[in-house]
Parts: sequence; C-alpha cells; structure tokens
Amino acid sequence: MATRSAPEEVPHFDLSNPEFSALADEVHAARDKAWFARSNYGVVALRHEQVGALLRDRRLRHGLYSWPELNGVTEGPLHHWWINNLNSQEGDDHRRYRRLLNPLFAPKSIERMAPGFQALTHELIDRFAPTGRCEFVSEFCEEFSARILLQLVGVGESSWRELQRMCGEFGISMGVNIAKELPRIEAALAELYEFTDELIAARRADPGEDAITGLVKTCDSGELTGDELRNMIVMLVFGGLDTTKNQMGIALDVFMRHPDQWDLLAERPELGGRAVEEVLRIEPTVLWISREALEDVEIEGLAIPQGTTVHLLTESASTDPLVGGDVPFDITAEHHPRHLAFGGGPHHCVGHYLARTDMREALPILAKRLRNPRADGPAEFRPWTGLGGPLSLPIAFDPGDAEGRA
Amino acid sequence: MRVILDTELCEANGQCEIMAPDLFRVQADNTVKYEANPDEDRRTEVEDAVEACPTRAIRIKS
Repeated sequence: MATRSAPEEVPHFDLSNPEFSALADEVHAARDKAWFARSNYGVVALRHEQVGALLRDRRLRHGLYSWPELNGVTEGPLHHWWINNLNSQEGDDHRRYRRLLNPLFAPKSIERMAPGFQALTHELIDRFAPTGRCEFVSEFCEEFSARILLQLVGVGESSWRELQRMCGEFGISMGVNIAKELPRIEAALAELYEFTDELIAARRADPGEDAITGLVKTCDSGELTGDELRNMIVMLVFGGLDTTKNQMGIALDVFMRHPDQWDLLAERPELGGRAVEEVLRIEPTVLWISREALEDVEIEGLAIPQGTTVHLLTESASTDPLVGGDVPFDITAEHHPRHLAFGGGPHHCVGHYLARTDMREALPILAKRLRNPRADGPAEFRPWTGLGGPLSLPIAFDPGDAEGRA
Repeated sequence: MRVILDTELCEANGQCEIMAPDLFRVQADNTVKYEANPDEDRRTEVEDAVEACPTRAIRIKS
C-alpha cells in the first residue's frame, strides 16, 4: 500500500511536454506505486477508487470551468458561452439543465434511432467497400459522427461537413491555443449560434414531437431563457461530435491489434454493446478529466486546497489492477466497477447512451463488412493527452457482405 | 408505485438525486437511500431518474 507516500516518493509527470502520453507505461508504473502523481499542473489521480471518488465529490466543480480565465479569456462571446454551459453549472442550475436535457438522451428515444445508425453505417461503407481500402477517419468517422448529431437534433444531414468544420474550429478552445486563436474560435461559435437559431426557428414554426421542440416549448414557457437554449444546443452538438469521431477511429485501431476479437464480433454481433465498453476501458478518447476544489478537500491524507485543479486519468483508472482492470482486451468480459471513460458523478457525460448506442450498432456491421482490416500506410494520431484518437487511419480490408462473408 | 434499485449496478453517480432529490439520496458510503414506495403523483420524477441513471440501475416495478 502506498496511498500515503511521502512527497519525495510520488512520481512526477511533465503534462505540458508534447511527448507525454496518458497511456504510457510510466503512468501505469506510477499508478502501481501510488494513487496519485504530481505534475507541473498539480496532482494527477491514477487509480479507479480515488478517480471515481473525486468525480463524485460535490465539493469539487468541473475543472474546465476556469480554463478560459486561466488563459486570460475573461470576457466576450466564448467566455459567455463557457461559463453558461452545462459543465460549468453546479447545484440548482445544473439540476435544471440536466432535467431539461433528460428527454433528449433518454434510452427509449435513443433506441428508436438505432435502425438509422445501422443504415448510416451501411451507406458509408457502401461508398468505399468495393475498393477494399479507405482512410477510415475522413471516409467514415467524420461523417458518421456529424450525421448522428444531426439525426439527434432532427436537421437535414447534408450540412454535416459544415458542422464538422465549425466544431473542429470551436474545439481549439479546449487546448492551449485558446487565447491565440480566439478570433477563429469566436467566428466558429457565431456560426454554431446561427445553426442553432435556425434550428430553433424551424421548430417554433413547425413543432414536432421531438426533444428539441420540447426544449423550445420550455423556453417559450419561461423555464429556460433564449440565451440558455442556444448555449445548450451548441454544447450538445459540440460535445458529441469530436468524441464520437475519435472513439470510432480508436475502436477500429484497437480491433486491428486484436483480429481474433474482430472476427468474434462479426460472428456474434450481439456483443456490440460489450465491445464498446471494452474499447472505452482500454482506450478512451477522453483521457484526461479535471475537477476544481470549491473548498479545502482532503482525500486519503492528501490536501487539495480550495481553487486547486486535480487531474484524473481515465485509462489509468479503468485499467487499474486493484479493480481487475489489468486484463487483456476481451469483448466477452464484463467489468465491475466499470470504466470511467464517461466521467462520473454529477457531470457524468449526459450523452453516454447515444455514444454507446451508435457505436454498438456500427461496430458489428463494420466487423462483418471490413474483414481482416490492416494498416495501409502510416496512421497519424492526436497527442495522447486531453482528447486522443487518430487524425488519419488508412486501412485495407477484404470486403465482406452484411453476413460477414468475403 | 414500487421502485427497485439494483445495488450491483449502482455506481453512486447521483443522477437520480439530481432528478428527484427528495426520493433518492447518495450516502457518504456510496450507497443510495431511496423511497421504495413513492406516491403515484411522483411517477414523472421517478421516470426521469430511471432514464438519467448512467448504469440503468433503477426500475419501476408497478
């Protein structure tokens, strides 16, 4: 047991080093010594128990809250959006937002979208299948992730490329270039607001039975302001797009390293749900989550003073040997406690059921139709820090039919 | 109405408490104390809690 290691025994990471990887052996070695490491950004929690506890602890707020201010962005449209979005809320406003978003992501309504996810998967594969090769990120993940979000909010899917671009540019705000790239980020935000305003106007003019119409009605009844409504829609579109794109790319890359598991998934498509959980356990796109102490907090003898940010490494926690996480990738296995790829506690990912369901539907179809996938040139990856995943993943495969026959 | 919480699945994320704070309460030991027989007029809130639970640990029996 090393839970109360003296500071000199605690490993140290340089998180600002572009070479740092949240998946590295040094992270796992540190986790096996102690539940936390130190870094140039502060404490980094590494084990399932403590990462889970910090995620659930309401004495800490979402760590992204202060990100713009820490980088000198203290006013203007981005700052306004940021401090008013779901993750920046605690207490009563957080409760109000989550309750309003609940119908949109309710399992019952997401399940109704499953046939659409299957059709979209086949449609995208149909385009490149005859050639036996593709660049999986641009030819599958980008369109898949954007069109699913458009299906969710009920907008014509032809604008997927625009949405992908806007979210990509807006996403720069999550990284270290937030201040330098502020004009570009705010231009993307203005476009996202325009997209949102059109959607709201369309639902107001022609109300449906859908959840966006529900939100517009809530807004018109005064329970949600117009400003809050636009912020909320921007948040859910942005939050779901890059994450799904990255996680799909990661999934294929993981399965290419485990060809027997890919064959198994093609044979047993009912394992799609477990395959998603297993990919999320060993290689989540959200590698790094943070929390900020709202008051002085002590965890297992470690003082976390008010205002301090703690960093939580999801893959390290999810593969923690103390919860049986140090086992090979196996899509027939079930793990308790589960991985922490969607975070936890009050800020647990609101769209987790959508993410789980679209990947659950897509992966078995991909496994049947992309037999024996293999590298077809060098892949490029984002740094394995905040949000990981392939930037490009050129693959070759043997085309299979919908039953997995070559 | 009868509410059932599967303690094997529950991970104490507390989304149920967000949806219905006086019917569900996460305890310090990460168990959830809950009203097993809420009045029928609370059904909407309980349904919200069922839908919001990330581990799908809550069910309505009747």
